[in-house]
Amino acid sequence: MRGSARVVPLEPRARRHAETAEPEDNARGARDGFLVALARLVEAGGAGLDWARLAEAWSAFYFAWHSEEVDEFGYDPKFMRTILPFFEFLYTMWWRVETSGVEHVPDQGPALLVANHSGVLPWDGVMINLAVRHEHPARRECRMLALDMFALLPFLAPLLAQSGAVRANQENGERLLRKGELVGVFPEGVKGVGKPFKERYRLARFGRGGFVRLALRTGSPIVPCAVVGAEEIHPKIASMDWAGRPLGLPYLPITPTFPLLGPLGVIPLPTKWSIDFADPIPMDAYGPQGAEDPILVNRLSEQVRSTVQHMVDSRLARRRSVWFG
Amino acid sequence: MTLRRTAVTGIASLLGSRVLRRLAEIRPPESLVAIDVAEPPSALRVRHRRLDFTEPASDQRLLELLREEDVETLVHAAFFTNPRRDSGYAHELESIGTLNLLAAAAAAGVQRVILRSFTAVYGARGHNPNFLTEEHPLQPSPALAWVRDKLEAEQHAAAFARRYPEMSVTVLRFAPLFGPGVHTFYTRVFDHRVVPLLMGYDPLVQLLHPEDAVTAFVAAIEQGPGGVFNVVPSRPIPLLTAYHLAAKVPVFVPHPLAYAGADVLWAAGLGAAPGAFVDYVRYLFVADGEKARQRLGFTPRHSSRDALTAYLRYRHPHSAWRPAEATS
Repeated sequence: MRGSARVVPLEPRARRHAETAEPEDNARGARDGFLVALARLVEAGGAGLDWARLAEAWSAFYFAWHSEEVDEFGYDPKFMRTILPFFEFLYTMWWRVETSGVEHVPDQGPALLVANHSGVLPWDGVMINLAVRHEHPARRECRMLALDMFALLPFLAPLLAQSGAVRANQENGERLLRKGELVGVFPEGVKGVGKPFKERYRLARFGRGGFVRLALRTGSPIVPCAVVGAEEIHPKIASMDWAGRPLGLPYLPITPTFPLLGPLGVIPLPTKWSIDFADPIPMDAYGPQGAEDPILVNRLSEQVRSTVQHMVDSRLARRRSVWFG
Repeated sequence: MTLRRTAVTGIASLLGSRVLRRLAEIRPPESLVAIDVAEPPSALRVRHRRLDFTEPASDQRLLELLREEDVETLVHAAFFTNPRRDSGYAHELESIGTLNLLAAAAAAGVQRVILRSFTAVYGARGHNPNFLTEEHPLQPSPALAWVRDKLEAEQHAAAFARRYPEMSVTVLRFAPLFGPGVHTFYTRVFDHRVVPLLMGYDPLVQLLHPEDAVTAFVAAIEQGPGGVFNVVPSRPIPLLTAYHLAAKVPVFVPHPLAYAGADVLWAAGLGAAPGAFVDYVRYLFVADGEKARQRLGFTPRHSSRDALTAYLRYRHPHSAWRPAEATS
């Protein structure tokens, strides 16, 4: 991977045939980071409209923070490394995430993290990913399954794919689990992430048990996960369904800061978060044919839902302040 | 035992001509028949029968021809890679031509028919899974005559496979070809320095190296079972990464403008493809090659990136683009 992430300089047009210039050029290019590439792009733009130079500088700028090779779902480790400091700032400083029980996540092999969804924007997914990445002894990466409303949203969709999220459906989930990945899902879906503020921390129905069928078919254990703190980052007071429709969104939220403060309204409030993981629930005892039994699927789905609800409730009972935990 | 022959149609197309050439290397040339209005290269020393699939009663002539030549395997590669303005002619050749070909093959007792198809028949849709399997319903945009004709050809093939169980019908859905010798409406985008890109979208795309396409085609001809197979490269590539590897200056266009602009250019005779093709740079249509791996024994040797690099090396040897790095 190290080789593919290296920045390789382009051969500038003027030096195309001057082969002696290449080694020096290579050495310089290897040191180029994001800012150097940006500076060279500005320089190329300022030097007048030479399309070839501009194209080279733009390409170098792009690959200063994108890999040339991504995985089959579009996950780009270099992009993730670029954006990680920002996520880490949110994790440690902004929301001061407190994690417990992360060791319950299996060290290797497939597993399905099942969490409550909240907060209007999918920040809870990012934070769960970071919790496993940074606090789990095996430093596993968690592939979050993203709702269609996010995974198909222009501009957000490519960012999600590059940071490792995958559109939520049975085919994608099964493919990831069969590869032995750790997969995160939010079975509440839109009903969870967009629930009104007055219904906070009351878990919505867990879909139609698709996540249980996924776990049964692949024999992956389910790890219940409870996120507390994300409900208050964008308190949704009301929603404008009609305004969301042209954007392909099921709703457009109204929060105390949005749309009142315009773009500033997308800044989430700095609440205090906790992420708790429970013991894995093994699924291999039922066998893959269990996925065809709707009664079993419903029972397991409800079992996981009540476990997560219980974890949320016990954390809420101990919480004294939304802002300080 | 008499020599049973293999016939190939569409030998003027990139894939058809290369498949014929590869077959001529591994089989005696007199066992190969090229059926086309165009003549095969004389150096191949294969037999040639002239036939225009758009003529009336071409099925009758094909039937006689298949009997005379004692054809056992019929390879059908006569499809247009580029959208055409005379869509009526394309429909006659691709949809009706395939129907006639299948009817003649069934009547002549041809044992195996291998049909060239395209992963584009799945249709690019937001709700597609990341990897389309062969069982996924085919839902291309109804606005695209180019895809609709391919879809109809596949539907004819499926109907004949059901009606004549003794005739084995193989359909190969190839990902878009990219590589040396490929000149299509989508590779042409990479021949400009400044390219329009969709704002806010960056789907994964599959670019198939022609070498891999020929290998899979020949594998299907040699010993392939009947059925539908995706023939795809080893891994997809994000469209933006492909453009940036080719060192393009992107001009970002909002998608409503892209559909309308492409339609206007197409209507004015300047564009290479109608606006509905914008779907294919907006949404996923990545196919899963697992079935071909297991049943055809076809493992692609090239990734999408390899195919792109091969194309750029062939077409723009002196331009600046990022060369492939040696991977460990």
